[in-house]
Amino acid sequence: MFISIQNVCFSYPNTDRAALNQFSMTIEKGEVISILGRSGSGKSTILRLLAGLEKPTEGSLTIQGEVVFDGKTFLQPEKRGIGMVFQDYALFPHMTVGENILFGLFQLKKTEKKKRLQEVLELVELQDYEKRYPHQLSGGQQQRVAIARAIAPNPHLILLDEPFSNLDAELQVKIRKDLRGILKKANITSIFVTHDENDAHALADRIVKLKEGYIEVIGRPCDLLGIHRQQAQQSLPVQEERELVGV
Amino acid sequence: MQRRLANVNVWTVTAAIIMILLFLPHLTIVTSIFSPSNENWAHMKEYVLGSFIKTSLILIGATAILTILIGLSLAWLIAQYQFPLRRFLKWALILPLSIPPFIGAYTYHGIVNFTGVIQTTLRDRGGMDLNPAYFDIMNLPGAIFIYSIFLYPYVYTITRIFLSQQSASLIESARMLGKGPWHIFFQVVIPISRVSIIGGASLVVLEVLNDYGVVKYFGIQTFTTAIFQTWFGLGDIESSIKLAASLMGFVILILMIEKLLRGRRQYSYSTTKVRPLPLIQLKGWKAFIATGYGLFIISLGFFIPIAQLIDWMILTFGTIPMGEFLTYVKNSVTVAGITATAIIVFALIVGNFSRLVYGKIAKLLPKLTILGYSIPGAVIAVAVVTAFIALDRFLEPLYRMIGVDTTLVLSVSLMMLISAYIIRFFAIGFNSIESGYDKIGTDFRDASRLLGVGLTKTFIKVDVPMLKGAIISGFILVFIDVLKEIPLTLILRPFNFDTLSTKAFQYASDEKIMEASQASLLIVCISALAIVVFYKFLEKEPD
Repeated sequence: MFISIQNVCFSYPNTDRAALNQFSMTIEKGEVISILGRSGSGKSTILRLLAGLEKPTEGSLTIQGEVVFDGKTFLQPEKRGIGMVFQDYALFPHMTVGENILFGLFQLKKTEKKKRLQEVLELVELQDYEKRYPHQLSGGQQQRVAIARAIAPNPHLILLDEPFSNLDAELQVKIRKDLRGILKKANITSIFVTHDENDAHALADRIVKLKEGYIEVIGRPCDLLGIHRQQAQQSLPVQEERELVGV
Repeated sequence: MQRRLANVNVWTVTAAIIMILLFLPHLTIVTSIFSPSNENWAHMKEYVLGSFIKTSLILIGATAILTILIGLSLAWLIAQYQFPLRRFLKWALILPLSIPPFIGAYTYHGIVNFTGVIQTTLRDRGGMDLNPAYFDIMNLPGAIFIYSIFLYPYVYTITRIFLSQQSASLIESARMLGKGPWHIFFQVVIPISRVSIIGGASLVVLEVLNDYGVVKYFGIQTFTTAIFQTWFGLGDIESSIKLAASLMGFVILILMIEKLLRGRRQYSYSTTKVRPLPLIQLKGWKAFIATGYGLFIISLGFFIPIAQLIDWMILTFGTIPMGEFLTYVKNSVTVAGITATAIIVFALIVGNFSRLVYGKIAKLLPKLTILGYSIPGAVIAVAVVTAFIALDRFLEPLYRMIGVDTTLVLSVSLMMLISAYIIRFFAIGFNSIESGYDKIGTDFRDASRLLGVGLTKTFIKVDVPMLKGAIISGFILVFIDVLKEIPLTLILRPFNFDTLSTKAFQYASDEKIMEASQASLLIVCISALAIVVFYKFLEKEPD
């Protein structure tokens, strides 16, 4: 067991409704997990809680044997060793691609920094772009820089928030393939959030379906396909069935 | 509770201390309402308070209406039509803001008085001997004219930016529905720009209530002049605090009316996508009128007073010793520079705090510190002096210990004046910084922290470089406001400490109008330069 999330609850300030309710799951090392749900289902909240950007109201979080949150402890985000790729990438506009990637490598020696930078640039196939600024890159390239920056410090876990939402349809398919390749090559445990069933099925080892802060289903993509079909046949009204199969 | 405790760190503590210090002086005013009143106050309440309120209402009411008429009509012309000199007028029309109303007031008085250029020309060249009373502007209508012609840019700028960036789809669909220009103006433009118009007009109203220079020079009795008189004339600090409290109540009432008028539409931006409004070409006499109207307003608000000031400066150049003059410049730049730097640093800390912390109280506190800008200078002066004298009393044992034999140390120092500036102008720097923070959002900060970089280092390496534009524009805005400031500086400056604006004001008050021109021109030039830099380069607005 690499990551353990136990009975985590969370609600945003000034609201009554819980964004997340008694959420529990465990994740193994190297697994690619997809959290699937509509907007408002609480899927991004899980990422923010794991990252330490929000604090759960109850429950506990353990990453690689270290308790990062329970009633007594709260480990600040910068101490958690988690990488995150933001929905709009959040590349620092005043730094070049190289500087962005080096930003998290301040603990390494100069020669090691250079080496690591070249490694990750190679991994995302952007070797010649070190000196460019983010605004000089295409959307797909920006996203790869964001991934490279998150992976560079060798995090225990990488979180991706809607990684495909800002890309056009054609690019999505290509990047989906690339991303799975990059993640598997780096052997980093990862969790990504999406509202698109196709993304989840193409990328994930396991899928978590969220609905209004609760886990609806959890399982391998192939298992979930079966469940969908069953549910669709048994009880769901026509309209929802359509949405589920993505028509 | 747990969440709040966990957020206690160096940042939140510093921010809390800054906010309390900014807000504390206002409390001394509020508490004065409950202290027993003396004879002077009873007399004032009975005989003069009513007339102050009436005069102030006439001043702000008429000025608001006039500035809206001028500001809105110009905003609409520039935003919607193409005519000769439009590009020049677009930013030149902001320039009257660089002339502080008191400088405008004495300049116009100089132009129209008995020895002024208009009457002398009429007498000498036209052979006319007109009744000088026709040319008297040192009265209520005169003050309204001065305020309107120098303050309309508040309404103009806010409304024009809104119209040219946000209204394209609404106005175009009105046109597609077959509406003519007048229809569109009254049925679409005015309603949709209501929030910006009211926003601009309330800034004008607050400026008028804050003003001391114009009303003092013209001899009009208002709250601010009364606060000064009670304090220095009668030596009655208690009553002047009570007057200040009444004025503060008046301001709070205006802020409430503003909120009510804005209705539920608290924001003016309906969409974040900026689509410029396409311009309609004006031809023939219509174009002529549009250009003429713009030139007329800009002449009244900028070129005529500037020409007069330059003329006076040439006449008196050399009568003021250069060394003395340079001292005023140095003083002005020093206090403005220190104030602007301090405000920007504080605003960065408080702005960061309101991003980091949840909860209604945390969001409300920064809003309260902004109140300082709506509180007139005279009120802040009273509050700060009271606070500093109390502080000196408190520190007296310490002074004795280190062998200082006077009881007043802080309250006669430059620190008091600078503190008052900070309280008064904090909102200007803070607004700029806060909108900068809003623009960058929290993702960059989060990204940096997840890359293992702590809060303080993130602030220095990520936030500050990304806020560079907001920092520069906030600094410029505060700097020119301090440069132009009058009431606070007059009350709170240390003995023998003069700035460009106090010197200009003194010369003008002593009827040495011409001698005042040199200092005035320098203030205007620096302000105008800052305005041009600000709007043309920092805002990088498309033409």
